[in-house]
Amino acid sequence: MLHKADTSATWAVVGALGLFFIGGLLTTVVPPLVDTTWAKPFENSDPAKGPTGKLLPYTGLEKQGHAIYVREGCWYCHTQQTRTLLADTKRSGWRGVDSPVSTPDEFVFDAPHMFGTKRTGPDLSRVGGKYDEQWHRTHFRNPRDLVQGSIMPPYPWLVDNPQEFKAIVAYLQRLGRAKNWRPDGDFEK
Amino acid sequence: MQDQISRAEVVATSTPTSTLVHEDSTAKWFLVSSVTYFFIVGIVALVIAAKFVWPDLMGTVPALSYGRLRPLHVNGMLFGWLLAADMGLSYYLVPRLCGVKLWSEKLGLATAGLWNLIILGAVVSLLAGQNQGLEYAELPMPLDVAVVVAWIMFGINIFMTIAQRKYPAMYVSTWYIMGTIVWTAFVYLTGNFATLFTSGVNQANLNWMYVHNAVGLIFTPVGLALAYYFIPKASNSPLYSHKLSMVGFWSLAFVYVWTGAHHMIHGPISQWLQTISIAFSVMLLIPVWSAVYNFFATMRGQWQQLRDNVPLKFLMSGVVFYLLTCFQGPMHSLRSVNAIVSKTDWIPGHAHMAVLGAFSFFAVAGTYYALPRMFGKKLFSDALANWSYWLFMMGGLGFFVTLWLGGLWQGWQWNDWTIPFIDTVIALKPVWLVRFFSGVLMFAGIIAFAYNVLATALGTSSTEAAA
Ligand code: HEC
Repeated sequence: MLHKADTSATWAVVGALGLFFIGGLLTTVVPPLVDTTWAKPFENSDPAKGPTGKLLPYTGLEKQGHAIYVREGCWYCHTQQTRTLLADTKRSGWRGVDSPVSTPDEFVFDAPHMFGTKRTGPDLSRVGGKYDEQWHRTHFRNPRDLVQGSIMPPYPWLVDNPQEFKAIVAYLQRLGRAKNWRPDGDFEK
Repeated sequence: MQDQISRAEVVATSTPTSTLVHEDSTAKWFLVSSVTYFFIVGIVALVIAAKFVWPDLMGTVPALSYGRLRPLHVNGMLFGWLLAADMGLSYYLVPRLCGVKLWSEKLGLATAGLWNLIILGAVVSLLAGQNQGLEYAELPMPLDVAVVVAWIMFGINIFMTIAQRKYPAMYVSTWYIMGTIVWTAFVYLTGNFATLFTSGVNQANLNWMYVHNAVGLIFTPVGLALAYYFIPKASNSPLYSHKLSMVGFWSLAFVYVWTGAHHMIHGPISQWLQTISIAFSVMLLIPVWSAVYNFFATMRGQWQQLRDNVPLKFLMSGVVFYLLTCFQGPMHSLRSVNAIVSKTDWIPGHAHMAVLGAFSFFAVAGTYYALPRMFGKKLFSDALANWSYWLFMMGGLGFFVTLWLGGLWQGWQWNDWTIPFIDTVIALKPVWLVRFFSGVLMFAGIIAFAYNVLATALGTSSTEAAA
């Protein structure tokens, strides 16, 4: 086959696509069929099995917040995944409680997904409930007013638009909350 | 016997056939517009690098905020500059390797026109915040469709040219370009269309398959096609081994596509899929080392030419960067290494070495080599070309090395969770400052390159035919 491909464009293309499709299909189409947790929303009522809770679809307001998060490119600086690394569970944790590791069933309704690749800012997979609305207002207006040395851009136009501000905060406050990971539900509003 | 073929190819293609005159208008249009975008998007690159140092810069204009400019930088460099330059050079070298004219210059010019419309559309929509939210697939749907149409037009033109070729045996660059065309079609459809019907981890998996293979099965094969063509040409030496180039091609076709999930090592994606992606990432060393060995062996006894052959300087530095970046890649996918470098500033250092250091260097070299031959003029200035090399090289090295060191440091700090996150931000500030100034050097390189290209294309001073 390889020899034929030397002089026949058809053979070269058939060979190149054939080899490509083996890996292509096995790594894209097959995995979601094998691992069903990718598509099943998180639900657990047995505390022995870890944090309880249920993943709900996005509300209209949260969806709008997600769209703003996409539009403003927050995801180029923030990830949304607590990886299976001790440091991640500590850093995404809060007030002495470690964050549970992120699992595929927590992200079933995310489209586009916001896992991210780069942590210029902290991971946001469990940011929901860590700060109250007033904190977010001040932070969006000028991050450096709250966190000296921050390089997060200011977003005055989000604060000045009450509807958009409500939406982005609703979205952020939901992140990571399907798993009820706080011992006594001490979330900020 | 195989080696004779490769030798015959190089000789055959370097003998000017007096009867065959290449028009090259498509190649010219693609190259000139790609170089223009290289310059324009270079400004965007500088601005976002500056925002890391001065975060309030242009802070109140939504269209100029970091989150809008970054996708413009990435898409503009990938599709406006690099892919357009790669396409332009493919329009140049495929007819020459086939010993015939391009099948249709009209179709080619229409493709160039459509491509320019796509890039302008991308600028407008990305600044307006119309972003699909998937990396490398940010462009809105109508533009995605236009890309597919343009790609089909490109593919038809190249395949029809190949179908009419005079030499039955195909040189390795021809396969790589054919591979690029067919693989890209499926990779692009997966990343830009299939993703829209999925969500969550499933979508992320398709997204990474696309992101990884946008580099691995688009920029790598077309970049290698350029290197396989221009290294023997620029050094006037036959390719070392045809057989070895086949090993590289077929292993690339098989191995690359399995590795997408290595973008989510330790993340919320099935462990067995992570392990598969790691195994195949390590196997990537086969296609890489076979190509690099071939290039080095071709240069045996010819290294002295590097002293004053600018295209060859870019090409061989590109080969070294390719070797390094493709050593980093497999290493990052190992779980232990990944736990330190993933999500840090190391990664942009790595990505820029691939896309700028390796593949853009190949495209710049090809442009310097092909442009005078297409226009039948001498290059505007060899000295300026040499300057562009050193500016790119110093800027590039400054950029890569500081981000690796900074990223490594950042990764170690993150793994000690007693250090508050903001302290790890402040620690990187000197790194980002050096990165900005390295960017200034690279941008100066872009200016030197773009000016040289445009002055050659538009200038009337020297009409003496070169080769
Ligand atoms: C240029 C990179 C960058 C962009 C873009 C960015 N951020 Fe940030 N973000 C940071 C940095 C750095 C920090 C850490 C310092 C701070 O808290 O300001 C941060 C912190 C945060 C925090 C506090 C997290 C915590 O656990 O303390 C939230 C919430 C946040 N960002 C939300 C957003 C949202 C929403 C957007 C988009 C509208 C966004 N960020 C865009 C860099 C960025």
